[in-house]
This record gives sequence, structure tokens and C-alpha cells, in this order.
Amino acid sequence: MNYPVWELAMGGGALIAVVSILHVFVSHFAVGGGLWLVVTESVARRRRDAQLLDVVRAHSRFFLLLTLVFGAITGVGIWFTIALVSPSAVSALIHAYLWGWAIEWTFFVIEIAAAMVYWYGWDRLDRRVHLVVGWIYFVAAWASLAVINGIVTFMLTPGEWLENRSFWAGFFNPTYFPSLTARTALALGQAGLFALITATALPRTTARAWCVRWNAAWVLAALLLGSAAGIWYRGVFPGWSDAVLGAIPILPLVARWLVVGVAAMILLALWPLLLPARWNRLGAALLATAGLLVFAAGEWTREAGRKPYTIHGYLYSTGLRVEQEEHLVADGVAAHTKWLDPRARPAENPAAFGGELYRNHCACCHTRDGYNGLRPWLAHWDDATVRNLLPRLQHVRGLMPAWHGTPAETEALAAHLRTMRSAAAAMPTAPAAAAREAWRVSCGLCHTTDGFRPLRESLSGLSRAELSALLDTLHELTDAMPPYAAAPAQRQRLLDQLVALAAAPAVAPVGAAPGGDAR
Amino acid sequence: MNPTPIVPTPDALPLPAPAALLHVLLLLTFTLHLVAMNALVGGAVLALWLRGRAGAVRGAADVAGRIGKALPVCVAATVTLGVAPLLFLQALHGRFFFAASVIMAWPWFSLIPLLIVAYYGAYLESFRGARLAGWRAPLLAATAAIFALIALIQVNNATLLLRPDRWPTLYFGNPRGANWNLGDPQVVPRWLHALSGAVAIGGLLLALWGKARRGSDPEGARLMRRVGLGALGWLTMANVAVGLWFLLALERDVLRRFMGGSGHATGLLALGVVSALALIALAARARRRDQASLTPVTVVAALTMIVMVLTRDFARQTQLAEHVGSLPVAVATQSVNIALFALLLVAAIAIVWWMVRRLARAGR
Ligand code: HEC
Ligand code: HEC
Ligand code: HEM
Repeated sequence: MNYPVWELAMGGGALIAVVSILHVFVSHFAVGGGLWLVVTESVARRRRDAQLLDVVRAHSRFFLLLTLVFGAITGVGIWFTIALVSPSAVSALIHAYLWGWAIEWTFFVIEIAAAMVYWYGWDRLDRRVHLVVGWIYFVAAWASLAVINGIVTFMLTPGEWLENRSFWAGFFNPTYFPSLTARTALALGQAGLFALITATALPRTTARAWCVRWNAAWVLAALLLGSAAGIWYRGVFPGWSDAVLGAIPILPLVARWLVVGVAAMILLALWPLLLPARWNRLGAALLATAGLLVFAAGEWTREAGRKPYTIHGYLYSTGLRVEQEEHLVADGVAAHTKWLDPRARPAENPAAFGGELYRNHCACCHTRDGYNGLRPWLAHWDDATVRNLLPRLQHVRGLMPAWHGTPAETEALAAHLRTMRSAAAAMPTAPAAAAREAWRVSCGLCHTTDGFRPLRESLSGLSRAELSALLDTLHELTDAMPPYAAAPAQRQRLLDQLVALAAAPAVAPVGAAPGGDAR
Repeated sequence: MNPTPIVPTPDALPLPAPAALLHVLLLLTFTLHLVAMNALVGGAVLALWLRGRAGAVRGAADVAGRIGKALPVCVAATVTLGVAPLLFLQALHGRFFFAASVIMAWPWFSLIPLLIVAYYGAYLESFRGARLAGWRAPLLAATAAIFALIALIQVNNATLLLRPDRWPTLYFGNPRGANWNLGDPQVVPRWLHALSGAVAIGGLLLALWGKARRGSDPEGARLMRRVGLGALGWLTMANVAVGLWFLLALERDVLRRFMGGSGHATGLLALGVVSALALIALAARARRRDQASLTPVTVVAALTMIVMVLTRDFARQTQLAEHVGSLPVAVATQSVNIALFALLLVAAIAIVWWMVRRLARAGR
């Protein structure tokens, strides 16, 4: 819209996901690990345990090299990446939360300096001062987390900010505290997890056994706190109903794996707690992998819940502000899009012009063949289907902003999509599979059988003839639905599926697997 | 093709502080970033040079190792002090900065992995340098080269954001972000100017460090002073030439202002040239006389840097003026948050000061 769009084959969302997962995994360790160091150092000093003190010191070097370099720079990296992929969002945040970031920076300064003084001070500072520096580090690191958490949760649930534009209303928004609790838990868990990993390299002494147990306790405590925070979060997160979950096709599956993953981690963490002497690299690798997956699934769920906004209710992922939408309705899309190549003239080369529209209004969420790729879908559709679908994109599961192109712009976009399509897709040969596929690429775009906008009940008992008649009148039921325009063979396959659906009673309880049937 | 420039509209939300305050904070924190960057880049280059002279000059390897040990702290300072001007730059000139960054997205993004690699390079030199044997100098050279490359990326962005007239051709030619701004004649001289300035100021910092170590290591201190002041003098001399090249590469309109078109600009430039010449003379003098105080040369160097930052800022204001438009920017000052920031900043400085003092006092 206002800014150029970075054309990225892998998709901007995927790049953000990669950088932020790497960063968040380390940056929470930077908070929790700080607490671990200073608390464990105190224990070692109090017990005059030289072995344990050596463990702490060796761990602090690992901590320094991981958090100060990789953690801090990938943090700058997220900022760079988001500004490249969603410049409008960063611009809005810089205006609304500049002072939040500036305040966070003061804590960051303390944090970096304290980490260095703590490391270089091992042999130089007296014990009391060394511990004080450790505490300064942890408090500053946690405070910077608490500030960033306000800005990050603001994007997802801006709450009353939408009405009053108040800094603090947006900062202490509805998900602020559950999210801060979850992040604190993550920080503690990662402190224990990373220490469990480095512990596998220690010589088998009593200090090692004690350490393994101690770290396992951190992980378990964090998992319990984190689970509680997750339940709390779910309660206050407005988008988190089964219906909305079903709107995002893959989400219910991910959400379920999240629960399974947490349970697996709790079981795995009992191993070092109960059998510390047997703790080994395999266990560490399993626990770390489970941790990374759980964490990625959680992050992924949250990011999916953001769609179609970058700042919920204020700014769409395309860089369009919600309040600007009426202008697009009135004037069409191109009039409000700055970065259109002047060489792509709509009258002479509609497909090229459509490509410009695509880059500005679709490419932020879609790629051709990669992340959220459109080509496999386009292979199933003829021109009429595409043309009918475009003005109704906001109703497709996946949560897209509406497309407000004029008829000529819609034509141009469709012409561009036609150039993206290669050959027509081959349908599966097995009749049941072909029928499912015919459903997936038509009704399944917007409905599930039993969860989100469920159809089973409405269709129940209808005959093939009645269903066929229904297909011809869909667009009369609601404007939201495109006329059904597929070729005759495809229509028969879809009818096979609908007949089966109309005949079969519901099998799964509503909401249990809203996405499963359509995939 | 010479299409009309595309300039994004200002953000719909008001600025959270008067532009003048943001401007002062930008210049202030950017100057600090430059000092740290100079310590880093200058330090890396001088360490490398000293390592090359290790056979010929007694104590050179020792000083090189000492600088190498300090490099990670310099990186941390450069990055930490880079974050703040980035904030204020985005608030003040975001619409230029974001557009330019996207147009050169890949080089800009690659700054991050490059920085991670070079940062680990600095730690390797610092923690393990002695054990690297023959690999030590090549590793240090590679690390320094990456920092120079990062500086080139920074210069590309800092100049591309000034040139909306170049954006359409670059962006529509390659919307995938594989663009540099090397077609702009400013870029190369500006980069060389920044690099030789960095080694010069890095040299001054080395000399000052030497002074602080006079008591514990007189011989090393003398070498640090001699090498540092030498770098300061020679590279400032080189920079007078590079600066002239840089000046002539500026856009006509901007150049005209520096050549008498604007009293303010011409005065700044003249002050910069005079202080640079004074710096060369003072550095040479202090280098000849071991006992001479470093205060005059330090004061003049600081003055030169401040003048350069202001000159650079003036050129930017001039170049952006035609694109900024005359509409007033909406401001909704968040006074409470500004006060909170000021308070926390003072607290942060005090805490960092206390910690560093404790560490320095504790000695080895
Ligand atoms: C906010 C991000 C976003 C934007 C912007 C967006 N889409 Fe989508 N779109 C999605 C998501 C998410 C899905 C569902 C993907 C899935 O099936 O998991 C989707 C689905 C689709 C589908 C159905 C096929 C499929 O992948 O499920 C089509 C066709 C489509 N989008 C076209 C477009 C077009 C054309 C534009 C530009 C006018 C556009 N989209 C803009 C996010 C977006
Ligand atoms: C572009 C999205 C979209 C597509 C594709 C689509 N629908 Fe719908 N459909 C909707 C929306 C939105 C509603 C209104 C639902 C509501 O109000 O809850 C709806 C309502 C309905 C209804 C009436 C409401 C009900 O639940 O009984 C039926 C029946 C229906 N659709 C059948 C179909 C069938 C069959 C197909 C496949 C040929 C299909 N739809 C394809 C979006 C779509
Ligand atoms: C460590 C390696 C780095 C080096 C060698 C370096 C070098 C430079 C140089 C040479 C400039 C001047 C560009 C010009 O005016 O032409 C500059 C500007 C700048 N740097 Fe850095 N930099 C580094 C890291 C960073 C990082 C990590 C950040 C941000 C987090 C950053 C933020 C900035 C900003 C915001 C400016 C421009 C300020 C302005 O234009 O007003 N730098 N840097």
C-alpha cells in the first residue's frame, strides 16, 4: 500500500517465523538463565561447593556466548525482518510505542553491561558484588521482557487502545499478564533445559547429579506454570473459540499437538529428576527437541491467530488500515496503492498489472509454490471460479482481508493468477478420494463438515437431486457464496461427497476436529 | 526510464514527541554509536596492522592481543548504541528509511548474519586468539573485513533513503530486494570517509588507553601512543582528500549550499576542515613529544566528530526537504513516558557506571 513489498520466494511470514523462533528460544534463556546463574552461584557459595561453583562458571561462559551474541543480534534481527516484511506495522509501533522501546533499551543497556561485568568479574570482584551484579542482570533482563511483552501483546490484542489510543491501555492489554506469565515460565524452563544439556558434558561427580536434579526441577516447575498460563491465556484471548480455530484450517491440529507435546515434556523431565545418574545426551536431545516443537507450535498458533491483521483491528497484513478500507471500496484498489510499476499498464497488459496488484495485496501472505502457495489450488479452478471467488476472499477459511478491486482490477488479478497456474491438477483415481478432493477445493474452502460453518446438519437427508439443485442456488442463499461453476465431471464428484455427507450422521463431536475433514 | 519518485505518506498516528527532541536524541545517540564503531573498526584494523609488524616492532604482538581481547566489548557497545539511533531514525524519517530498506532488502537483512559471524570472530580472537597460531591474523582480517562490509551496507542504506528519485528504477527492476545503491556517486567516498575516520579515532582511543596504562606497562603504553597517534594523523590526512572527493560527489544542489549557498552549511564545512587540519598538526606534535598532553588532540578530535555529524545531518535535511512536504506533522507528546525514559536512562547510566567502576577498581 504505502511501502514497497519485498518479493520473497519463501514468503515473508516464513522468514519472520524462522528468525523469531531462533531468537525467542535464546532470548528467554537470556532471562531465565540469568536467574539460574545467580541462584545456583548463591547455593554453591553457601555450601562452599567448589565443584558446583565450577559448573556455574563454565555455564556462564556458554551463557555469555549464546545470549550476548546470538540472542542479542537475532533480536535486532527480528526488528529488521519485521520492518522489511511489514514496514507499516513497525511504523505504527514506532509511533505508538517509541517510548516503550526506548525504555526497554535502557534495560537492555544494563543487561548487556551486567552480563559482561559478571563474566569478567568471576576472578576479580568480591563474592558479594559478583552476586549483586548477577541480580542486576536478571532484574534488567526480566524488566526488558516485561516491556517488550507489552508491545508484542498489544499487536495481538490492542484492547481499549483501539478507541482511546492510550499508551497504557494498549500496553496492559487483555493478554498482557497471561502472556508475561507464560514468557516467565518459558524463561525458567529454558534455564533448566539448557543447563540440563550442558550437564551431560560434566564429569560424573556428585555435583553433576545434584545439578541434573536441580535443573529438572526448574523444567518441571516451568511446565506447570506455563500450562496454567496457557489456560489463562486461552480464557482471555478473544479469538480463541473453536469456531475461530476452525477458521484456520491447520490450527486445531497444531493446538492438539501442543497439548501432547507439553505432556510428553513433563514425562521426559521426570527422567532427570528421578534418575539423575542415568541422564544422558539422548534424553537432553529428546527434551530439547520436544521443547523446540512445543514452543514453535505455541508461537505458530499465536501467529495464526493474528490473521488477517498485524495490529488486530487496526492494520491488516497488507499494510492497509481498517479505517482506510472504505476508500478502497469507493475508488478501487490501485488508486490507493503507491508501488505499482508504471510500465504495467492495465489496458495493454492486464496480467502484468494484475501481478502488481497481487504483489501489493496478496504476496504478504501467499507464495506461488512455497508457504501458503496458491499454485496447487489454482490448478483445480477455471477462470469463472477464480473470478467468483476473489470478491469473497474474506469468507475463505484462513482469514483474509476483503478484496475491494473494481471489476477491471479483479479481471486483471484473475489474469495474473491464470499466469501462475501451470497445468490442470490431476484428480485422484479412487472415487472416494476424488470426491473428497472435489469438496476440498470448493465448499471446503469456507466450510467444514462439523466444526466451522458446519454443513452436515443443513444437508442431512437431502437427495442427490436436491443437492444438485442447491448447488445452482448457493449464491442466492447468501452473497458470501460464489456461484458453483465447476465442470460437469467435477460437479459429479462433489455431489458424491455431498450425498455421502447428507447420509451419514455426525461422527465427531462438534469442535473436536473442525479442520480434519476438509484436509 | 526516469519515473516520478514515490514517497510514502507519513504514518497516520502522531509522533509521540516533538520532532526537535527526537532529532536531538538521534544525533546524540548516533554520535555515541560512531565512537563505539570507531573503537571497533579502528581497533580491529590496528590490531591487524600491529600483528603484521610483530616481527619488526617489540611489543607489537602484545598490544595487538590486548586490543583483540577488548573487541567483543566494542561490538557489544556498537550494537547497543546502534539500537537507539535506529529507533529515533525510524520515528523521524521512517517513511524514507523503510522504503529504502525494502528496496535493498537482502543486503540489509544480511547485516544480521554477518554481524553474528563477525561477533563470534571477535570472541574467538578474544578468548582463543593465542591458540589459533597461524590462523590468528587471517581470522582477524576476515572479522575486520566483515565489519567493513557492514559499514558499506549502512552507508548504502543511509544514502538510498535520501534518493526517492532512484527508488522506482531500482525497485521495479528488482522487487526481490537484491539492490545496492552503488550507482550513487556518494556511496564509495562516504564509505571510505567513514572507514578512515574510524581508524583515525580508533587510533586516538588506543593512545588514550595507553595513557591509562602508563603505570603498569610503560613500554606497551608508549607503543600504543605512538601507533595510535600515527594512525590519527595519517588517516586524518587521507580523509581530507577522501572528504574532498565525497564533497564533490554530493548532489549539485547540496554542494552549492556547502560552497557558499548557505552560511550555516558553509560555516560548518569550514569549521570541519579547519579542525581536521588542526587535528593533523596536534597529532603529529603529540607523537613527537612523548610527554605532551593528549587533552588538546582529544578535544579537537571530539569537535571534528561533532562537526562531521552535524554536516552529515545538514546534507540529509537538505536532500530530504523537497520530499518531506510542508504539511505539519501531528504530534501527541507522551510526557509521562518521556519522563520515565529519562529517569530510567539516568538510572541505567548510574548502574552501569557503578558496575564498571567496581570491575576496574578490582584490577587483575
Ligand atoms: C492476511 C493474509 C492473507 C492475505 C493478504 C491474502 N490471503 Fe489468501 N489466504 C490466506 C490464508 C491464511 C489462507 C488459508 C490457507 C490454508 O488453506 O491454510 C488463504 C487462502 C486463499 C485461497 C484459497 C486457497 C488456499 O490456499 O487455501 C485463495 C485462492 C487465496 N487465499 C487467494 C488470495 C488472493 C488472490 C489474495 C490477494 C487479493 C489473498 N489471498 C490475500 C491469507 C491471506
Ligand atoms: C467463499 C466461501 C464459501 C464457499 C466457497 C462456499 N460457501 Fe457456503 N456459505 C458461506 C458463508 C459465508 C455462508 C453463510 C454462513 C453463515 O451465515 O454462517 C454460507 C452458507 C451456506 C449454506 C447455508 C447456511 C447453512 O449452514 O446451512 C449452505 C447450505 C452452504 N453454504 C453450502 C455450501 C456448499 C454446498 C458449498 C460448496 C459448493 C459452499 N457452501 C461453498 C461461504 C462459502
Ligand atoms: C557492528 C557493526 C556496525 C558498523 C561497522 C556500523 C557502521 C555504521 C556506519 C559507518 C554508519 C554511517 C553510515 C552513513 O552515514 O553513511 C552507521 C550508521 C548507523 N548505524 Fe551502524 N554499524 C554497525 C552496527 C549497527 C547496528 C547493529 C545497528 C542497529 C541496531 C546500527 C545502527 C545504525 C544507525 C541507525 C545508523 C544511521 C543513523 C543515521 O542515519 O542517522 N549499526 N553505522
